[in-house]
Amino acid sequence: MRFAEKIIESLCVSTRQPMPGGIKPPDYKQETLRSRLMPTPIPEELILPLAQHGNSRSRPLVKPGDKVLKYQAIACSDVTGIVDLHAPTSGIVLAIENFPIPSPVDKESKCILLKKDGLDAEIDHNTLANYRSLSYLELIKLIEQAGIFGLGGAEYPSRLKLKSGKNKKIKLLIINAVECEPYITADEALLREKAQFVVQGAEILQAACMAEHCVIVIESNKADAIKALEQTQLNSSIELFKIAAKYPTGSEKQLIQAVTSKEVPSGKYPTDIGILMHNAGTAYAVYQAVIEGKPCISRITTLAGGSLKTPKNFEALIGTPIDYLLNLCGLNQQTHTMTLMGGPLMGVKLARTDVPILKTTNCIIAASEDKFPPASIELACIRCGFCADVCPASLLPQQLYLYAKCQNFSELISHGLNDCIECGACAYVCPSNIPLIQYYRASKDELASQLENKISSEQWKQRFQHHQYRVKKDKEARRDSKRRETIKPTELTLKISPPIFSREAAKKEIAAAVVRVRKRKAQFIASSGGENTETDK
Amino acid sequence: MEAFIENQFVRFVLLISTAVFLAYRLLLVSKYLCKEYLKQKSMVDRINSYLPQTQCGRCGYKGCLPYARAISQGDMINKCPPGGISTILNLVELLNEPGLRLNPAHGVFQPPLTAVIREEECIGCTKCIQACPVDAILGAPKLMHTVITDECTGCDLCIEPCPVDCIDLVLLPTSSPRYWLNPIIQNSRFNTLETN
Amino acid sequence: MTSSPQSPPFQRTRRSTNNIMLQVVAGCIPGISIATWYFGYGVLLNVLLSIVFALCFEALAISLRSRHIQTTLADNSALVTAVLFGLTIPPGLPWWLLFLGIGFAILIAKHIYGGLGQNPFNPAMCGYLFLLLSFPSAMTSWHIPNDALSSVQEFAPTSLSGLQQSLHLTFPFLSHNTLNPIEFIDGLAMATPLIESKMAGTSKLLTAWQTDQSLFARSSETAWELVNIGYFLGGAFLLFQRVISWHIPVAIITTVMTISILFYSPGGYAIYGTPYLHLFGSATMIGAFFIATDPVSAATTNKGKLVYGVIIGLSIYGVRAWGSYLDSIAIAVLLGNFLAPLLDHFLRPRIYGHKKGVLGPSDMGGGSNKVIDS
Repeated sequence: MRFAEKIIESLCVSTRQPMPGGIKPPDYKQETLRSRLMPTPIPEELILPLAQHGNSRSRPLVKPGDKVLKYQAIACSDVTGIVDLHAPTSGIVLAIENFPIPSPVDKESKCILLKKDGLDAEIDHNTLANYRSLSYLELIKLIEQAGIFGLGGAEYPSRLKLKSGKNKKIKLLIINAVECEPYITADEALLREKAQFVVQGAEILQAACMAEHCVIVIESNKADAIKALEQTQLNSSIELFKIAAKYPTGSEKQLIQAVTSKEVPSGKYPTDIGILMHNAGTAYAVYQAVIEGKPCISRITTLAGGSLKTPKNFEALIGTPIDYLLNLCGLNQQTHTMTLMGGPLMGVKLARTDVPILKTTNCIIAASEDKFPPASIELACIRCGFCADVCPASLLPQQLYLYAKCQNFSELISHGLNDCIECGACAYVCPSNIPLIQYYRASKDELASQLENKISSEQWKQRFQHHQYRVKKDKEARRDSKRRETIKPTELTLKISPPIFSREAAKKEIAAAVVRVRKRKAQFIASSGGENTETDK
Repeated sequence: MEAFIENQFVRFVLLISTAVFLAYRLLLVSKYLCKEYLKQKSMVDRINSYLPQTQCGRCGYKGCLPYARAISQGDMINKCPPGGISTILNLVELLNEPGLRLNPAHGVFQPPLTAVIREEECIGCTKCIQACPVDAILGAPKLMHTVITDECTGCDLCIEPCPVDCIDLVLLPTSSPRYWLNPIIQNSRFNTLETN
Repeated sequence: MTSSPQSPPFQRTRRSTNNIMLQVVAGCIPGISIATWYFGYGVLLNVLLSIVFALCFEALAISLRSRHIQTTLADNSALVTAVLFGLTIPPGLPWWLLFLGIGFAILIAKHIYGGLGQNPFNPAMCGYLFLLLSFPSAMTSWHIPNDALSSVQEFAPTSLSGLQQSLHLTFPFLSHNTLNPIEFIDGLAMATPLIESKMAGTSKLLTAWQTDQSLFARSSETAWELVNIGYFLGGAFLLFQRVISWHIPVAIITTVMTISILFYSPGGYAIYGTPYLHLFGSATMIGAFFIATDPVSAATTNKGKLVYGVIIGLSIYGVRAWGSYLDSIAIAVLLGNFLAPLLDHFLRPRIYGHKKGVLGPSDMGGGSNKVIDS
């Protein structure tokens, strides 16, 4: 009761409005929670992709043949120079070239190939006893030097989120421990065993972004994790908030609505309404970075699925090949049909498994035929409306499907395609097996390229108008100069005064000329409205 | 129960409340419609916003705005190859006209193109600079000419004037490949209007 | 690229279109059985014959459209159309009228528009209305066979001779008499059950209960009320199974109840009867739960469904009271189908992160700049 409810009361005006829609799929989480969290044995070779986060590029700080120590910085951002990749173990850099990376199609990217030397020697790093002695800027600096990115899935640089606290007042920091998607138990396993570190990390984050309040949100059916967290609540100011288990409550916008009843306006960010959200795994990484001085080199990954003999959670090093982890869990090749990175509702089907784990990989599912039947054929939409009942953003998926099929983009925008979070709940309940998410992604791609076209056509229109203006001016100038040639240079030349060489006068002349040109250009554009005046070429 | 139903007062109250509710809803509807009506732009501007602004002249008019004017006065909507199928479909929806295939006399649908000058062969005659409708070619007499790719619309008006024929139209490299294809395109056996 | 990788989600619910359609048919079973008990095997015969003809027509249409026959028949949509059509037409109708009606429903009201999911109008109701307008006298008389030995008061339509007579009514060529075959059958020809005397009176069910008669005896004339209770139970089953949503049935029932309260006058015209009899003395229940909730032709947003139900309710009462057709479900549902796309366009839910629009769709013009305080 207490403080958490009071925070919520202060932030929202009326009764709590929970997330609309949502589904309750069977969660299959028990198998992976049976065993304790274990650090993984280190594989022979680690593949560390350089361009981890969207389109940003990283520049390697080492070259092939260099010996590196554990926690040593090995890559930094091309643009800002901030270190974003650290060596997960000590060893020797074998090569820096293109390797396959996790993707539904065959895709390669530049990676650092690191071969371990078995020593696991660490570089010197400082530990910190009391983080409260540092200012928030120093905390943010420590966090960014540790290469921490949003470990919840979006991989947004954490320092940028925290820095936004400077300009906009952050009232509430939410630590997202809601793992609503089936099979994934990474955050739950982390909280079960290392709850106090997560809470300390949350406190550090709160100090770094200067938030007034901080809550940890968790699903009410995660009993062990809640018990571990409640034991740490006694000596901390961070509140625990329990919500009912429903997919996709863990999505950022939906969780904000479920916890505070406020909605993030379309096209804006949560910081615009004073709320910041971080994943529980990120909080743990922040604790390790600030207090223990260890940069982000590993993450908790769940390995699950019917083809594994012993599904479990691993504290896996970034860059571990996925097939290495699958073999550690006893992969059954006969029943294994496909590998998913992520959960069954929002995950990505991997084209190959000899690819590395990234900072955002929270789950690998080795799927078997019984729980993951192949896609059935798409039948006609019977307009039943089950999809609209489960959409967490209150969209109309059946209408979006209709307009995506006939590629009617104005109606797609009007029905809110850009607000779709692609959670997969609509396609999950569709009785006609329609791949709704594929339609929406294809339409969003098409809309994005149409927007690009619109921007460039606006640009071309401006240039065309300027081109017409310039041609007209040139023509007039030629006509005037021709006329001036026919006049005899008699009295007029005597009347012309000698040029005054003075800076101020020259500047004044130039300024006056610029004003004249601007006025004339505006007049021209307004009067003719872009009328074509090219009569000769 | 029946006495309650028969009561004239109850029925009167029910009738009045229904009437008031309906009147209020109708008022909101009419206010919304008036607001939408007042937001409209002129027809020529709206047609012009659906044209791709490549200013290529393949439609027979010198630029996109004159073609937009002509359409508003009744010209055919299927004369714009750079606009792609989306231009024709948008104009169909705007003008409530039947859809037409692209008139082959004006060209064919093509992916986005850009002009590239082969610099070894350029003689610096400035003919292409004068021809470009958006001033996307940089150069001066007897000096090297080059096309600014970001500004080039792919209209191919510079190809003809070049006396040494050193300008090529090449495909515009796309920024990032898109995996997700609309299933209707993927599964359809008949692709009626689009030829990509 | 010619193909995409498989898109998420990779798991789905087990419920699919054919399951849903089968559950709708299952919901009709209580109503069908009670109707067969009272009105004879004609009801069952109509339903079975409709199913057979519907499947044949569906197979014909699909083969003409070069699609896969087995997959399309497996989605059971023709089954549902056939069952609902068979329940609304009177028993004792000759088989060729049934053939024409179901042919119109499947071929023209469904496949001409593009097949499953594309028809703007309810196919069963289109077929019914086609027959009603083309063969009005055949469609407004119910032929219920007598037991040949007993008197008219105690008729037993479900005996073996009743079955024989139902077959003879439906397949006139079976009878040996070359004269008008109907005359040979000593049947009870009644007008459509929604006759005025029923409306004017009180509930027959209540009367039977008060006078300690068997509720299921045919002489107590509790037929229609029990049939409607059967459909109501079937509809409740569908609601419980979450096959249909509550909006349309609740809206229809509430509207019919409200407007019949408004116009109730016990001493006046019989059609201005009590709300109970308007709901349970005629075909309102099957209309509210099974016919109007056909997902393809109904409105699809929740607010739209409520208004759709209101329109249908008003039309049911209006056509009944002031129009010339006593059984108005088909006309009312078709009227609702006309307006459904308009309702879908305007009555949309407010999207997360947007302001509330005046008519329902959010103000998408420039996006919302204000924080939503709920």
